[in-house]
Amino acid sequence: LMFCYFSFCSSWLPQRVLLQGSHWQSSLLDLRTSLPVRAQPKKKKKVDVKKEQAQKERMKKKLKKLEKAPPELIPIEDFITPLKYSESNRVRSLPALSPEESERRVILLKKWCLFKQKQDEAEKQAIKALVESQQEALKELRLESEELYEAAIRRDEGLFPFQRDGPSYTPPLAGYDPPEGKCIDITKVYTQ
Amino acid sequence: DALLGCHRSYRSRPTHGIGKFKYLLPKELPKKRKEKVQMKEIDAGTEYQYGDVNIQMTSHDLCLVEHFAQYVHRLCNRLSIRVNESYAMPTKTNEVLFMEERGSKMQLDAVLTTHQRVVQIRGLSSTFAPILLEIIQSSQPEGVHLLMKQHTEDDFKSRLKSRPELEELLAEMS
Repeated sequence: LMFCYFSFCSSWLPQRVLLQGSHWQSSLLDLRTSLPVRAQPKKKKKVDVKKEQAQKERMKKKLKKLEKAPPELIPIEDFITPLKYSESNRVRSLPALSPEESERRVILLKKWCLFKQKQDEAEKQAIKALVESQQEALKELRLESEELYEAAIRRDEGLFPFQRDGPSYTPPLAGYDPPEGKCIDITKVYTQ
Repeated sequence: DALLGCHRSYRSRPTHGIGKFKYLLPKELPKKRKEKVQMKEIDAGTEYQYGDVNIQMTSHDLCLVEHFAQYVHRLCNRLSIRVNESYAMPTKTNEVLFMEERGSKMQLDAVLTTHQRVVQIRGLSSTFAPILLEIIQSSQPEGVHLLMKQHTEDDFKSRLKSRPELEELLAEMS
């Protein structure tokens, strides 16, 4: 205890002298302002560097942990049935069909099947015709000039991106004045 | 060693199948490993072929867009175009408000949901692309918006959940 007191004494000599002599009041103040400049910055540097290093390491560990977890896909609300539809036990009881009604339905189903088949056949024919005519045109072009044929075979960069709105049931009303309003996006944001 | 190497089973003898016990244990299903969501390599395509192309169908009507996506998928199968993936994008919900005629308050009109389905194809030849486009357009239903574009990394990233903590840490580190 005595040794440390002496070492303390030697380095902090001016301070010891000041504390003992109370009549050095004015110089006391001056020295007090000068002393912190000498002593404290050393302490700040050491503690700060260590703290910063520890903080950096903690951040790196956190980053590693977060990066390890694989990214997840956003769940699609369309495929999740809301609970209210699976909780209730109510069962629909359908009325019995008369034979005429069931006959009518079967005939309608068959007519629909035939209609769809014809539609599908027409589509296949259309594709076939398009491909054939395209091939014939390319053949003729090749006979005409090789350069143009090569240019036609290449892919069209201007094709994509391609956008098209679906057809509408009715044309737009002429002179329609829509009311003022706004759209708010209330999609649920998922975070990992 | 000779005993272990012998594979004769003596099926007529009563000792046939002696030592078998696995058929008595309950069937162990193979461990379902969680498939890591990794981005597959994007094909850039050659001069005569388009690489990965996304056919995106958007609509407010869920059943319609679902059926149209199925139709497009089946069409591609029939025309032997390779379909990489057929997935759904997350649904967007919008609240539509309109201003009353006599008043300054906004009134809630409806809550609309926008659904989007994507069919990703690869190896579409340059000569066949306009034909496919024509066929899809001719069978496009009402209210379904069609968009065909090249597949990019951003398209894949828009499907993933956002990670604000990771981004914050990365911003702090750099």
